[in-house]
Parts: sequence; structure tokens; C-alpha cells
Amino acid sequence: MYSNFIKNDIRKSKLITATITAFILIAAMLTALAASLTVNLSGAVDNILLSAKAIHFIQMHTGDVDMEQLRNFAADQESVEDYQVLPFLNIDGAEIVIGDNSLADSVQDNGFSIQSEKFDFLLGLDNKIISPSNGEIYFPIYYMQEGNAKLGDKVTIHGVDFTVAGFLRDSTMNAALVSSKRFLVSEADFERILEFGQLEQLIEFRLCDGVSYADFETAYLDAGLPANGPPAITYAQIRLVNGLTDGIMIGVLALIVILVIIVAFLCIRFTLLAKIEEDYREIGVLKAVGMRVSSIKKLYLAKYSVIAGIACMLGFLLSVPLSEPFKQNIRLYMGESDRQTFLLGLLCGFVGAAAIYGVVLMYVNGVLRRFRKISAAQAVRFGSPREKSKSARGFLLSNNRIFPRNVFLGIKDILTRKKLYVTMLTVLIISSFIMVVPQNIYNTISAKSFITYMGMGICDATLYIKPTQAEDVTQKGTEAANSLATDENVEKYTMITTKMFDMKVDDGSTQKLRVSLGDHTAYPITYTQGTVPQTASEIAISTLYADDLAKTIGDEIVLTVDGADKRLTVSGVYSDITSGGRTAQAIFETSSGDMLSVGIPITFRTGADSEAIIAQYKGQFPFAKVYGVEENISQMFGPMISSVKMASYAAIGVTVLLTVLVTVLFMKMLVAKDRYSIAILKSMGFTSEGIRRQYLTRSVIVLALGVIIGTIMANTLGEYVGVAIVSAFGATAFNFVVNPFFAYMVSPLLIATCVYIATLLGVSDIRPLKISEHIKEA
Amino acid sequence: MENIVTGKNIIKIFGKGVEQAKALDMVNVEITKGEFVAVMGPSGSGKSTLLFALSGMDNISDGSVKFGDTELSKLRENELADVRRTKMGFIFQQPTMLKNLNLLDNIILPAVGDGKKDTVSLGQRAKALMRKTGIDGLEKRDITEVSGGQLQRAGICRALINSPEILFADEPTGALNSKSAEEIMGLLVGINREGTSILLVTHDAKIAAHADRILFTKDGNIVSELLLQKFNGKDMEAKTEKVLAQMAAVGI
Repeated sequence: MYSNFIKNDIRKSKLITATITAFILIAAMLTALAASLTVNLSGAVDNILLSAKAIHFIQMHTGDVDMEQLRNFAADQESVEDYQVLPFLNIDGAEIVIGDNSLADSVQDNGFSIQSEKFDFLLGLDNKIISPSNGEIYFPIYYMQEGNAKLGDKVTIHGVDFTVAGFLRDSTMNAALVSSKRFLVSEADFERILEFGQLEQLIEFRLCDGVSYADFETAYLDAGLPANGPPAITYAQIRLVNGLTDGIMIGVLALIVILVIIVAFLCIRFTLLAKIEEDYREIGVLKAVGMRVSSIKKLYLAKYSVIAGIACMLGFLLSVPLSEPFKQNIRLYMGESDRQTFLLGLLCGFVGAAAIYGVVLMYVNGVLRRFRKISAAQAVRFGSPREKSKSARGFLLSNNRIFPRNVFLGIKDILTRKKLYVTMLTVLIISSFIMVVPQNIYNTISAKSFITYMGMGICDATLYIKPTQAEDVTQKGTEAANSLATDENVEKYTMITTKMFDMKVDDGSTQKLRVSLGDHTAYPITYTQGTVPQTASEIAISTLYADDLAKTIGDEIVLTVDGADKRLTVSGVYSDITSGGRTAQAIFETSSGDMLSVGIPITFRTGADSEAIIAQYKGQFPFAKVYGVEENISQMFGPMISSVKMASYAAIGVTVLLTVLVTVLFMKMLVAKDRYSIAILKSMGFTSEGIRRQYLTRSVIVLALGVIIGTIMANTLGEYVGVAIVSAFGATAFNFVVNPFFAYMVSPLLIATCVYIATLLGVSDIRPLKISEHIKEA
Repeated sequence: MENIVTGKNIIKIFGKGVEQAKALDMVNVEITKGEFVAVMGPSGSGKSTLLFALSGMDNISDGSVKFGDTELSKLRENELADVRRTKMGFIFQQPTMLKNLNLLDNIILPAVGDGKKDTVSLGQRAKALMRKTGIDGLEKRDITEVSGGQLQRAGICRALINSPEILFADEPTGALNSKSAEEIMGLLVGINREGTSILLVTHDAKIAAHADRILFTKDGNIVSELLLQKFNGKDMEAKTEKVLAQMAAVGI
């Protein structure tokens, strides 16, 4: 009996069944995809970290390292499992010549290294440890992705020739977000190019399980071990950075899944309610003859369990081949995950799809609960639920002098059957939302102002001088500043000095705090809370520091400056992704503290050729690293911006499809439901066009409401969703940059066009509807 | 007398292939202006189909239907709709009202133009009709808040709002008790006296007895005709007897 019931039902409503199946299938497929990718990503990250024996703690340092001191420290600390010091030979990008090109435009700190002996191995694409022969060079995988180098390319560094023998995976510096990249050469070749670069030391540790990295870092700094490079990086950060790009993709998938499920539920609810209404009398009869509600429910549940079962199974099967292109990036950067992970991924994908199946059935079961409310007597007598239509009493045709009758009837219908239109309204709200939010996110992160949410001010170029590049950083900085002061291309600039200070912690011990000193108002950043330090006794700290130190606005921080305690009040907190995210800003003057770097942000006069000037500065200030901000941003965030851009286009496509499908479906069902009223109207001499105009009126009203609410929500609530996604970039609070042309013109118009066309398609059944066939059913 | 509706050789076929059935088989009908014609017959004899065919609500498979001098099958959908709205009125067995409008709005619905017609005078006309049919005071009621008889009266008001030339009534008393049915028939006779032609479909001899002329249908054909005009107007029982006798004679 069940199978006949299901077959007949599906035959009678092919379009609806197909749409619901499609939505469930997509939801199941994306869930399976997200689940299996999560497993694969985390497996791949673990795999590379394991194969490479990734470091647990790394500190960069320029200058000599006292090996004796390091050995004693390592021996004292029970938590140290192993340690080593690796060379990192900074070579300017312009000096790495590949064929006719060079890496001059790269914003990465390019460094040469030799293969490690103990841990932190550089791996080949087969995840095996590489041993380069003389004359061979291995490039970071990043440059393969960027297209800078390919296998067999000739590379020249100051006359020393190399051949690109392969590409390497670097567990520490793989990601585009990490600003240093390691090249691997043989030890003999390393000696030959040693004189052409500045040598930095990577002081690396492997720690025992369960050791607190923060405690270890404090112990390290307290021991006075060398630490004049960027702040130390720990295992947790490395894990995070390796998974970030693909993690965001999974996050976006998850977001889409949630929306698709909501839409699928709306469709199910709508069709199911219509079906119940249609079968009202039959259900009543079944009840009247003594069939149990649970048995009647089973009839309806059976259909959905078949549909959902097929859809989820197909969704899972489709997710397997579909995951391949998504896995490619993971595979390239981290290598093939092992068989066990692959199987676990399949299993999790299956569980994900099965979960969707369960959720759909639970939902259908919930909707069917209203069977209990059906009174057998009423159903048999009247054949349809006695709808009460008390609302909209004031809106009378006899008082109407404004609207043409068909427009009036359209409006009246919406006012009387508000509940019915909520479904379509919700879909349109979601549609506007999905269309606008990814666009807003894209606009926000590609806007110039976005970097101010990440600890950088808006300038055209930045000049950096580090102790690795010059002996007396302050003097060189002043030299550069003086030269800029007379440069007619320069509109403004300022000099920010970053130093390391000792900070007194509440328990009496000391910690290191990295503070940037200078005029922070010249290139303002955006503060999550509070403001820029305005007096010499104020300090602003990055969110990471604020979390570490558990300090917030108004709290006090005590630094040792010029040998005395300096009490500073926290005036503001900001997100920062530079220098490992641990920074502070103050404006007091001092000559004490360990000099870390001098940064000079520069704004050029309007009309100046920034590229040419930057190139000129690169020659003019050989002791400094000069970044053009645009290339800096595009290289750091380029891949992410372009993937968000792709996601936003995909979202537009999904929205168009969703809007058209759901509107057609909705309108078709509405016409089917209203066929009796349509027959009455026709018998009274209403034309099909006139009746169609009623349905268009309904569509247009719901459309206008949906788009308005959706757009408002996208620009308010959407910001929170945006924050959740963008916080992965390191910014914790920001405002949407809205492209008004798209958000308020293109997007609503696109949705309106879809709805209009879909409505016309959906109400095409009005014309052929025969009065004589429908007027007798009451 | 001039014909208001003329049907010639009407054939109406439902379904296709082996399932096909002839609902009307070469039917010829003429209704003159001002005439009150009833169609009688058992279920499935084609009486309702004939009403839908003659009113242009359903297209016919072959033959011709003229409204006055206009061939209905030659009209485009919109023109046909205009004829229905302005020249014809309809009453059905079930009161076919829109649920989301109140009684008054349902009545004026066919008369509200797409332009900004004066709905106030329309309202007055509707109220006059409601007074005439005895349902004045119910203007603001929802259609679920009145009795079946009251609803059918409202249906008559709606059918008359555009002062049609002919009223098509398909079992208008079928859902009513005998008292209400008599009252409704009284109204229809009154309307007919004022000049509106009526085509009434029924299976009830008592109801049909109000007509001037009765057509009896059987298996898609008009098998017999009975003229009642010549019988004295007031004696309904005698008329009914006559109808029943004729029914027995043709075997329906």
C-alpha cells in the first residue's frame, strides 16, 4: 500500500518532489563535503606536522647566538625535548633572479636555509625529507602556486647558478599569511651565497607533551636568551595558520548548508501543509473509521523518508568526487592524507548526510503533528479546514477608490492570508541576505580601509629598517625621514619606532612587551574599543595582548623605562595581525628598550607614480625594506580575497536559482490551492490576465517586503556573520563597506527580475484552468 | 421573438481515446428574450454541461452557440470574459463566494472596473438589491457568518449587479431547505418578470414548475419539451403534477 501511495503522490506532483529532492540532496552533499573536508584537512595538517617534525617554539634572532647559554637553558628546562639553531639567510627578492624575472615584487622575507638534522624538516611533494645536491635549489610551494617558478628553471643569485629541482613544504612557513619563506640549498652552496645576505638565526625547540607554550616563552625571555626578531611562534599558531585558508572555505560551506536546509524546510513545510489541506477529507475519513494518527502519519512520512533517503544517499555519493578539487589545495600544501584519514573522511561524510536525513524526517514528523487537530466530523462534513478570515476588515472593496480591482484583490489576499506568504517572504529575505552579505564581505576586505582593522594605517608605502639590515636603526631611520621631508613626492610620513620593554606583571615577575612609539594619529588604525593613546601616560594594546594580560580599557600596565617604573593606562584595544599579533602603541619618549625596528609609513602626493617612487626608494635606501601597500595587501590577502570573491559570485548564482525555483513552486501551489476562487472569478467575467495581475500584485508586495527586510538585515545582522568569517583574518570588529550600487540597486533588481519571471511561469496554469471543472467543488 | 441564446448541433466530448464520452450529442436549443427555461434530467444526462456550453464557460467540441448575434466560439478569451461579466449572471448550487471578502464586496466584485469607478453608487445599487432579496443589514458579514439561504440570495445579488440580460442558474436551490428554496424561486420569477431571461438547471420538478418551458435531457440529448405558460400561472401543484407526468413519460 505504501509504495502505491508514494508512487501516485510523486507522479501527481513531479515538480514539487523534484525541488524538495534537489534541496535535500544539496544539503546532504554539502554537509558530507564539509564533514569529509574537515577530517581531511585536520588529517593533512597533522600529517605534515608529524612528517616534518614541526617545531613547538621558534624565535628568530639576528646576530650571534650564545650556544653555551642555550645548551644550559635547554638542560635546565625539563620541558625541552630537543633544540637546534638553523640559519636563515635573508636575500633581497630582487637578487633572486629566475630566468628573466626576479622576486623583486615579492613582499615575503625570502631566506635560504639548509636541511635540518633533528627536526623542522623541509619536505618534498612526497612528504619525504629533501637532501639537495650541489647546484640544486628547492622553492617554497607558495612560489609554485603564484607561478613565479617551475621545475627546471635556472636561478641565479649573485652569479651563483642553481636549477629548480623541486618545491618544498615547510610546516612553519607554508601559508601565504606567514611573511617569511624558506628556500633550500645544499650546505656547500649555502656557504657560497653566505656573503650576499644577512644571516638570521632560527632558534627552535621541540617540547614535551602538555607543556604550556606561554610559560615556556616567559622562561625563555626571562633567561635573557636572544630574541630581537619578530615575536616567538608556537605550535598552536602553526597548526592554525596551516589550516586557515581551507578552514575558511569549510566555514563558508557550512554557512551555505544552513541556509539550504532552512529553504528545504520551508519548501517541505509548505508542500506538506498544502497536501494535508488537499487530503483533508480523506484524513478525516481515515480518522472516522478508527485509524490511528500514528498510522496515518506513517503514510506521509513514508514518502519523505523515501525522498530524503534517495537524496541523502545521492548527496553523499556526489560529495565524494566533488571533494577532489577542494582537496587539491590541501594536498598541494600538505600532501596526501593517509588511507585511514581518507576512510574516516568518508565515514564522517556519510554520517553528515545521514544526519541531514534524520533532521528532515524529524521535521516532517513535527509538521505532521497537526493531524491531531483535524476533527473527523468537520473534515467529513466540510471537506476543508474552516479557515477563519477575520483580518483586514477595514480594507474593503466598497470603500476602495485607489487600486484597480485586481491589484486590490491581490493586496486583500495577502492581508487575509498572511501566514501563507511568510514562506515566500522568508525565502526572499534569505535570498537578499545571501546575495548581499558575501558581496559586503568582499567589499570590506578588498577596501583600503580594511587594513586599519588589522593594525595597519592607510598609506601608500612603508619603509622598514630592522637590526638585520642596519647597525644603528634609529640613525638610519632619521636619515631616511630627513630625506623624505624634502622629497616633493611625499605628502606626509611619520616615524614609528618599535622597542621591547620589560613589563611588571601583577605577581611581581616581568614579561616582555613590544611597544611602537611615535605619532599614531598620523596613520590611524581602527580601535575595537577605546582610542589611540593621547598622552604620554597612555597605551593601546592589541587584542592578543589584551587577552594574554587580561587587561582592558582603564587598566594599568607598568613598564620599566629608563630604569624606572612607568605607569601607563590602557586607552584602547585593537586587532592586529602584524608582528604575530602582539603589539602595543604609546607616545612617550625614551632612549631605553631593545630596538626592534623603525617603520616609516608614507603617503605620496596625489598623482605621483607610486610604483616608480617605490622602485626609486629601494635603491635610495638600501638599508631598508620598502613595501608598496597595494602589493603588500594583494600578496598577503590576495588568495583569500579572490576566494571570497568567488564565493560571492557563487552566492549570486545560488540565490538566483533559489529564488526562481521557490517562487515558481510557490506560485504553482498557490494557483492549485486557489483554483476554486479562480473559477469563480472567471465565471464572473474576470480575464486570465486580470487574475494573473492579482498574483503578480501578491508577488510584488512580498518581493518588496522581502528585499527591503533582507537588505536591511544583510547590512546589520549580516555584519555579525561577516565578523565571524573575517575574524579568521585576524580582525575582530569592523564595519561593512557597502557598495551601494550593488547592495541597493543590482541585488534588489536581480531578485525582482527573478521573482517576476518566476511568477509569470508559476501562474501559467491560470489560463487553461476550466471553470466547469472547478466551480463545483466547494 | 428574438433569440437571446441559440445553440445548434452542440457536441461536447470529454476525455480521449477509449475513455471518451459524449456529454452532449447534437443538441439544439433556443431561448428567446425574457423567457424562463428550465433544464431537467437525471445525473449525468448533460444538463449542467449544456448550461456551461450555452454560457460560454466551457468550449464545445462541435456545433455553434450564439449569444444574440455573436458566435461565442469566435470570441477571444477576453471578449468572452467581457460578455460574461456585463451580459450574463450566474448562480450556482454552492454559493461561490470569495472567502476573503465580506458579503457586500463579494456582490459588487463583478462590477468593479479596472479604472476608478464610483464604488459609492455601486454600493448603493448593491444595497438596493440586498433589500430586494431580503438580506439588507448583512453587508459587512463574512461569508462564513450567514446562512446558506442568505448566501444564495447574496449570490443572486451578485449575479444581478451588472443588470444582465440572462441569468444562468445551476441547481440554485440544491443546497437549501424547501422553505428557502421556494423563497429563492419566488425571487427568480420576479426577476424574470422584470425582463431578465433565465436558464435554470434542476432535477426537482417543484422547482422546474416555475419556468415557462422545460427541456428534458437524457444521455446527452434533449428528449422532450414541456410548455407551462398555457397552464394557469398560480396553481403550482397542478404545474408540478404536469412536470412529473412528463418525466414519467420520457422515463427520467
